[in-house]
Amino acid sequence: MKTRSNLERVLEAGQFAVTGELGPPQSADPEVVRRKAKILKEYVDAVNVTDGQTAMVRMPSWAACLIGKEEGLDPIVQMTCRDRNRIALQMDILGIAALGMNNVLCLTGDHQKFGNHPEAKGVFDFDSIQFVQVVKDMRDEKKFQCGEEMTVEPRLFIGAAANPFADPFEFRVVRLGKKVAAGADFIQTQIVYNVDRFAEWMRRLRDKGLHEKIRILAGVAPIKSVGAARYMKTRVPGMDVPDEIIERLRGVPKEQVSKEGIKLCVDIINELRQIEGVAGIHLMAIEWEEAVPEIVEAAGLLPRPRPTG
Amino acid sequence: MNAQTPKPFEEVLEYLRGKKKIVLMGCGGCATIFHTGGPKEIDEMAERLAKEGKEVIGRIKLPFAVFACYLPMSSMFLKEHRGEIEECDAMLMQSCGDGAQVVRGYLEEEMGIVKPMYPANDALGFSGGGPASFKEECQACGACELGRTAGICPLVQCPKGLLNGPCGGTTIDGKCEVDPTRDCAWVMIYRRLEKLGALDELVEIKAPHDWSKAVRPRTLEVEPIDLMEKLKETKKVIEALGL
Repeated sequence: MKTRSNLERVLEAGQFAVTGELGPPQSADPEVVRRKAKILKEYVDAVNVTDGQTAMVRMPSWAACLIGKEEGLDPIVQMTCRDRNRIALQMDILGIAALGMNNVLCLTGDHQKFGNHPEAKGVFDFDSIQFVQVVKDMRDEKKFQCGEEMTVEPRLFIGAAANPFADPFEFRVVRLGKKVAAGADFIQTQIVYNVDRFAEWMRRLRDKGLHEKIRILAGVAPIKSVGAARYMKTRVPGMDVPDEIIERLRGVPKEQVSKEGIKLCVDIINELRQIEGVAGIHLMAIEWEEAVPEIVEAAGLLPRPRPTG
Repeated sequence: MNAQTPKPFEEVLEYLRGKKKIVLMGCGGCATIFHTGGPKEIDEMAERLAKEGKEVIGRIKLPFAVFACYLPMSSMFLKEHRGEIEECDAMLMQSCGDGAQVVRGYLEEEMGIVKPMYPANDALGFSGGGPASFKEECQACGACELGRTAGICPLVQCPKGLLNGPCGGTTIDGKCEVDPTRDCAWVMIYRRLEKLGALDELVEIKAPHDWSKAVRPRTLEVEPIDLMEKLKETKKVIEALGL
C-alpha cells in the first residue's frame, strides 16, 4: 500500500470498487456537504469532491473533503490546474495531505468561459499529466517540481481522468498511457453511455498492457429525464450519448423516466463489469445523490468492504 | 506582425477633449497592412477630427516598410516634423502601442519634447498571414515549444495551453469546446504528426513550460544592422520585380 486510502485498499484486494461524487455548494453551508456525505457513506468506497466544476465559484474541494471526512468518507480531493499555478498546486497538495486526505484526482479543469466568472484569467500553468507527475515525485521522491527536497511527503493515492469518447480516438489511448507513465494510480473515465465504444477503448488499452498498470474506474451516471439526456448529447462537449439511450427513456411514461434512468444505469454497470480491465465504477449522481444507494444495491455491489480505519 | 484594430472614435475624442491642435502619426508597417495607420487612414482621421472642431496641424505619414517602432527610420520623420510636434496640444498615434511608446520615449529623451500622446488603435499582438486573413500563431513567450509540438503552438492554439494532448472537452468531431468553430489544437497536431509519420512523438511527456522567459518587461541588446546596406538590398529586390 502506497497510502492509507480506502480506495487503494479495495482495489489492492481485487474487489470491484465503487466511487461516488459530491458537488460542494455555491455557499458556505456545511450542512449541504454533510447531507450528501451521509447518503453516500455506506454505498461507496471513496467520494470525489469536485473542484469548482464547470468553473462556478463553490466551496473548495479540500474544505468540503474535510467535512466529508468528519462524516466518515474517504474523500478524493479533485484539483484542477485552472485556478492555481505550480506554486499553489504544490502548496495545496501538502495541505490536503496534512489534513489527512488520502486521494487526489489531478485534472486540467473546465475552461473559465463555461462558468459564472467568464472574465477570469485562466491559469493552466500545468496540464493534468504534468500535475500527476509532480504529485508522484512529491510522494515517491520527496521532491518539489523545482527539484528541492521535503522532509515529510504527501502520501496520496493519485488519480486522473480519461475521456474515451472525444477525438482523436487514437490519441485517447496514447494519452492514457502518458498518465500511466506520469505515475497515476487510478483513472476515472467520462460517463459511459456508449458501451461499445468504451469496450473498444478498453481493448486498445489491453493491447498495450495498460490495464495491468493502472486501475480503471468506468464513469456512470443515472439520467433523470429525456431532456437531460438530450442536453448531454448535444450540449456537453466530449459526451457520447447514443440515440438508443434517448429512445429507451422516451419509451416509458413520463413519470417512469427517472426509474428507467436508474435501471439503465444498472444495466450499463452490469455490462461494464464484464469488460476485462474495468476495476470499478465511478458513479456520478450529481444533485441526485439519493439514487446512489438504489443503483449500488441493484447492481449487486453491496455490501461495500468496510474501511479498516 | 502586430495585428490591430482602430479604437471607437468616441474613445479617441474623449482622449482629445480640450486639445485643439493635433498631430497625427501613422506607421508604414503593421498599421498600414491592418488599415489603422497608413496615409489613407491618417487623412480620414484628420477629416473626422476637423468635423469635431479639431485643428490637425501635422500628419506624419511613414512610407510602407518604415516602422514607427524602429527608431533609425522613424526618428528621421520625427525630426522633420519637429515644428508641428512642438506646437501641438496632443499627438494621436495611429500605430500599435509599441510604435506609440517608442516615439513617446524618443521625443522626450532625444528631442526634449514632452507632449500628451494618445492611442488611436488597439493592438492585438503577433499574427501572420494576409493579405486579408490573419491568424495568431505566436505569443512570443520567450521559450519556443514548436520543436516539441509538431510546429503548431498549443500555448496559443489551445485555450488551456496544454502541452500533453487534448483535454476531455474536444467535441466528437474534433472541435474545441471553448470555440466549436475551430479545430482542437491537439487534433491539428495529431493530424500533422500523422502526415509526418511521427505519431510516436506524442508518447513523450512534455515538461511544464518555462514562463520565466516571459517575465516583463523584456529588453534586448543587439548589434545594429547597416540600414543603408539593407535599403540597397531592398532596392535591388524592387528593381528585380520590375517596379
